Amino acid sequence: MAEAIVEEKVKATDVFDLKRKPVADPGFDVTVKKLTPEKIEKVVNAVLNMRGTAARFKAPLDTCIHCALCAEACHWYMSHGKDPSYAPVAKVRMTLWEMIKRKGKVSPEFMKQAARIVFAECNLCRRCSMYCPYGLDIAYQLGMVRRMCFLLGLVPQNILDQDNSHSATLNQLWISQADWIDTMQWQEEEVRAEIKNARIPIDKEGAEVMWCPLGTEPKIATYHIARTAQIMNVAGIDWTVSSMDGWDCADMAMFIRDMETMQRIVRGIYENAMRLKIKRIVLTE
Amino acid sequence: MYDFIKDPSLYSFVRGPLVWIAFLVFIGGSIYQLRNMILLAKKEKVVYPYMSLKLTLRSLFHWLVPFASVNWRRHPVITIMTFILHIGIVLLPVFLLSHNILWRESWGITWWTIPEGLGDLMTILVIAACIFFFLRRMFASEVKFVTFSSDYLLLVITFLPFITGFLAYHQLLLPHETMVILHMIFGSLMLIAVPFTRIIHMFYFFLTRAYMGSDQGFRHSRDW
Repeated sequence: MAEAIVEEKVKATDVFDLKRKPVADPGFDVTVKKLTPEKIEKVVNAVLNMRGTAARFKAPLDTCIHCALCAEACHWYMSHGKDPSYAPVAKVRMTLWEMIKRKGKVSPEFMKQAARIVFAECNLCRRCSMYCPYGLDIAYQLGMVRRMCFLLGLVPQNILDQDNSHSATLNQLWISQADWIDTMQWQEEEVRAEIKNARIPIDKEGAEVMWCPLGTEPKIATYHIARTAQIMNVAGIDWTVSSMDGWDCADMAMFIRDMETMQRIVRGIYENAMRLKIKRIVLTE
Repeated sequence: MYDFIKDPSLYSFVRGPLVWIAFLVFIGGSIYQLRNMILLAKKEKVVYPYMSLKLTLRSLFHWLVPFASVNWRRHPVITIMTFILHIGIVLLPVFLLSHNILWRESWGITWWTIPEGLGDLMTILVIAACIFFFLRRMFASEVKFVTFSSDYLLLVITFLPFITGFLAYHQLLLPHETMVILHMIFGSLMLIAVPFTRIIHMFYFFLTRAYMGSDQGFRHSRDW
């Protein structure tokens, strides 16, 4: 912790002078030491070049007239005494516009600050788009900065670990297939204490509904599974869960714009739906 | 154009070839930029499938009416200034009396004319709105934070045709003909600037609103 505070005071010339409490996160503090300006330039320009293929990325950058009418949409801005550096447009200004201006030639400290801005000071809630007279998708732009940070590995450690889990197991919390099936069978017994002969049908082909929980449910909130099973049984719904990977609807990859893993998660769910020939996918939220 | 060949003076140049260049660049450049953006959006998987004419028009109407949206109501002064500025910029160049005389002299077309007094008032209001936005850029902290010199430049480009037009109409400051020449040069400059600067928002506005209106309307969210 002491180390992190000292490090926070080190100022590169291209970093904005912001008043922020230091937050120690190995995902930022350790990774930033491994970054080189060449690597950053390569990654930043690779993402910036998407302006040529993505209209949603290019249009807001070409249209924004810097009026700052989006500021009051942002709860970060409102809850920090209207500090201008928390306004949505300010976040774009401190990250994307600066990168474009310098053609990707930014320091590791700049990227660390950008990572903090897009991960820890913006929720990508898109409320600012509702306040923007042009309806510009500001969250999409900040999402592209998250993408740059992800490609550089500058991601909060907790989310990065969950993303790694998604990438290896297609679920959020390193749950093995054996654990998953075992949890379902254990919860089936629990439900039977309430409803006689209740079932949690696993891999029932041709069912009406396939239910996909969040990874947290089998891991730390198993009673949610029993509750859902009770509802399904009492409502008389023809339902099932998949035994194979791709049963988890959580998507931490989406939050850090790991588009490759994001795509595999969604594909996994749809492939299970095809395999079991079910009609509807029901997700926990 | 014919006048310029017959009598190549600065006045006949700005009155002839420069206007032609300005209009060609403005119209051609804008069509080119719009075409590029529309084709680019076609490549995206999630833009066109959700586009809806009804939701687009709803969203445009919602933001083109003063005080219809939540954010317009939250900032009444900015709203009034914004609408004054944009209505002036769109209507004055086309319907002002002295411009109408030029339209008729050149192409023999006549249409509705803004009364002289009203035109003068609208010009003053546009100039006032420019000054208001200039001061807002300088003093409002959230705007100041995101202001580049290009933002001031865009405001000045907008401001110059109106102030020179106003001064020419009232024959102030400089000899009349000099002021008219300056007015035409700055007017052409603004037209030429449209496709290459963020003034392109006069066209992109319709595209970005179409996207956000359809995107939110598809989720059964109304425009705020």
